[in-house]
Amino acid sequence: MGEAILRMKNIVKDFPGVRALDHVDFEAYKGEVLVLAGENGAGKSTLMKVLSGVWAYPSYEGDIYVRGDLKRFRGTKEAENEGVAIIHQELNLISEMTVAENISLGRQATNKFGAIDWNLVNQKAKDILKQLNINNIKSTDKIKELTVGKQQMVEIAKALSLDAKVLVFDEPTSALTEKEVAELFKMIKSLKEKDVCMIYISHKMDEFKEIGDRVAVLRDGKTIGEVTKISDITLDDIIARMVGRDIKDMFPKVKAKIGEIVLEVKDFSVDHPFLVGEAMVKNVSFDVKAGEVLGISGLMGAGRTELVTGIFGAMPKDVEGEVYLNGEKLNITSPEAAIKAGIALITEDRKALGLFLDKSLEFNTTTTSKMLDDNSNRIGILNQLTGRGITEKYVKELKVKTPSIDVSVGTLSGGNQQKVIIGKWLATAPKVLILDEPTRGIDVGAKTEIYRLINKLAAEGVAIIMISSELPEIMGMSDRIMVMCEGEKVADIPREKATKEKVIAYATGNFREEKMNEKNLEK
Amino acid sequence: MKKILKNNATLIALIAIGVLLTFLTKGSFFTSRNLTNVVRQVTIVGVIAVGMTMVILLGGIDLSVGSIVGLSAITVTLLMEKGVSVWLAIILTILLTGVLIGVWNGFLVAKYKIPAFIITLGMMTIARGLALTFSKGGSVPVKNNLFPRIGGAYISPGTSAIIIAIVLGIVIYSTFSGMKKKVKYGIELEKTKEMMSLVAKIIGVLFMFWVFVTYKGIPSPVAIFTVIALLGVFLLRNTKMGRNIYATGGNEEAARLSGINIFKVNMFVFTIVSALSSVSGIILASRLNGASPNLGNMFELDAIASVVIGGTSLNGGSGTITGTIIGAFIIGILNNGMSLLGVPSFYQLIVKGAIIIIAVWFDVVSKNKKVA
Repeated sequence: MGEAILRMKNIVKDFPGVRALDHVDFEAYKGEVLVLAGENGAGKSTLMKVLSGVWAYPSYEGDIYVRGDLKRFRGTKEAENEGVAIIHQELNLISEMTVAENISLGRQATNKFGAIDWNLVNQKAKDILKQLNINNIKSTDKIKELTVGKQQMVEIAKALSLDAKVLVFDEPTSALTEKEVAELFKMIKSLKEKDVCMIYISHKMDEFKEIGDRVAVLRDGKTIGEVTKISDITLDDIIARMVGRDIKDMFPKVKAKIGEIVLEVKDFSVDHPFLVGEAMVKNVSFDVKAGEVLGISGLMGAGRTELVTGIFGAMPKDVEGEVYLNGEKLNITSPEAAIKAGIALITEDRKALGLFLDKSLEFNTTTTSKMLDDNSNRIGILNQLTGRGITEKYVKELKVKTPSIDVSVGTLSGGNQQKVIIGKWLATAPKVLILDEPTRGIDVGAKTEIYRLINKLAAEGVAIIMISSELPEIMGMSDRIMVMCEGEKVADIPREKATKEKVIAYATGNFREEKMNEKNLEK
Repeated sequence: MKKILKNNATLIALIAIGVLLTFLTKGSFFTSRNLTNVVRQVTIVGVIAVGMTMVILLGGIDLSVGSIVGLSAITVTLLMEKGVSVWLAIILTILLTGVLIGVWNGFLVAKYKIPAFIITLGMMTIARGLALTFSKGGSVPVKNNLFPRIGGAYISPGTSAIIIAIVLGIVIYSTFSGMKKKVKYGIELEKTKEMMSLVAKIIGVLFMFWVFVTYKGIPSPVAIFTVIALLGVFLLRNTKMGRNIYATGGNEEAARLSGINIFKVNMFVFTIVSALSSVSGIILASRLNGASPNLGNMFELDAIASVVIGGTSLNGGSGTITGTIIGAFIIGILNNGMSLLGVPSFYQLIVKGAIIIIAVWFDVVSKNKKVA
């Protein structure tokens, strides 16, 4: 084991009424990847904020040592200067600037007149990219022209150009394609050889084994158990430490009784909002039955989100096709009409599209056109007490952890926020519930609860459409899997016949070969 | 305690400025006659500020309100000059200069997503130009006995006393019935907080009683303003439309996907603010017993300042009309106090600007603290 680069000793951080970190204690060594695991709200982010100077000294208790020296960061700049860099979930690059400009931001090389020496700035960026073996990014590329994966590489290059000794990755793969993830892991492995000390925060269990050396688990602000070598612990044990209980089955799928067709979509197309003649969704037809969970799988950009938002009436000018509910043809020209007909859409991006973050749980739960109509009299005066009653009901039913229904939703953890959104849509009594990436960015415990809820709703006869980029989730929860690729429906596979490999093959456009193979097998 | 102070910072500032002015003016600020005048002056911009609160809650802005005041004052007086009866002239004015312009502004903002700043900036110039054109640049007198009473009359002290007593009764009754309801539905009661707010309200009503009853009674524009403000508070707090406004201002995309008709909300709000501006113009013309095309100049700034001082976020989504009213009174008593103290009007402008900046600065700083 190498030299201890980082030591966080007895870190305590209090927020009004909550102890977010409770004597957290660990060391991270040279050339290792320390995985920091824990459910949302366990204190991972707070801990990293203490480390990076966001929560400046002395707003916390305890000591931070970098290479054996006691450090007290009074701001993020100080932490950066001491070699602590964080690759955030949301990238902190300026999209209108070039790679080189971003790497040198705030400390550009200048000539003797004090003007920026662009040649030197570009040269520096080239050097660092070369050092890291990044060949597919030019120092003069604009950030906005790069994919998220490449942007992350730039962020890493920037951190290392600052001579980072401790590199923290905060959920780095949440927006990456599989290929990009592979590249990132390659990079992390090469950084390991360069003796960089790395802390890796993630929700994705399968990544731990692949990339981590040791794992520290946080729960309720405390380190649970010893920091353990990844090779000495099973994933089940990590999960058990995270949630404080065993989760035998991550996907507690219960088959519900499948009834009549509820939603039928015929020849549905969605035009590209800006590009004339381009289509995001091309002639897709499908149906969902009562009690059935239809999983929609596909890569990013396959048109899954556009398909469901189109059905939901959110882009009325760009869609074409027919939608039938219980055999009756619908004419949905607005979300309001969709909600009225009994369709609910839980959007992918919770914060941007789903929540009123600084409003209360009560506000969030009761603010849909249907709820507002139901809770008001003929001239539009609201009965706020019924609204409160409904909110209380769903908070209880979905086990939302909150001090009261009057706190703003933004103060809750991701899993609880997601439950609030689900409650809001259940309150509209939907016949068809569409969930777009329902468990993105939420912790294992909350995920399982959401799966159980899906089961329960299916059992009640709701037709459920679930879009997910996580294969295990699609495989685990769907009765039927529809795969989309480049706007087209390429497969409709019943649960029994679905395999991971098959779904990936269809999603990546290799379906023709797949079909050939099937034919060969039949022969 | 700290929390109570922070939540009521603007109200406390208002009282503090009032006390300060009382001392500086050796009491001439704090007479029922002077305070009645202050309230009368505040109502003109206050009526507009009620609507402006809604626009800013949506994340928008309306710069045309001041010009609409001028245009509506000219329109109503010209209509009467042409022999149209008072009430018909008022209704026509509200429809033509208020509703019509509001619908136009709202339509362009909502349908084509043009920034409200630009649309209403253009309308500000157009409306002022129309006022100058119709009046041929001169002022229009009123030769009517009924019209001046709308903005100039007083409800007699006796009737005023009865009205205010009834208000006091309603305040006390509604507090207790509200508490009862909360208990019935199992909502947690913060008794000390409820009691403190009740005491504050009672003091406020008694203060009003003293101001109005010991002078000439409630001025009619104050009565109009009070009704409009109460309707506004009720609309935002207790109606579907109020919810829609907060939701749209808070997160437009989420609101749209929740089935809220963003177009309708925008149309409604822009129409309301223009209509209220034209009401304000009518009251002003009535009080002045005539109109000039330059009436309402810079009112948009006073209205926006009232809203901002009152704590409404320019990003939309959070704020209240109660806050706006307090903001309007802060500006009102500053204007009045400085005039009483004989501060030259040039300096008054500087002080007013500084107050706006300080208010927003204070708001931003205290909000940032909350996050940390």
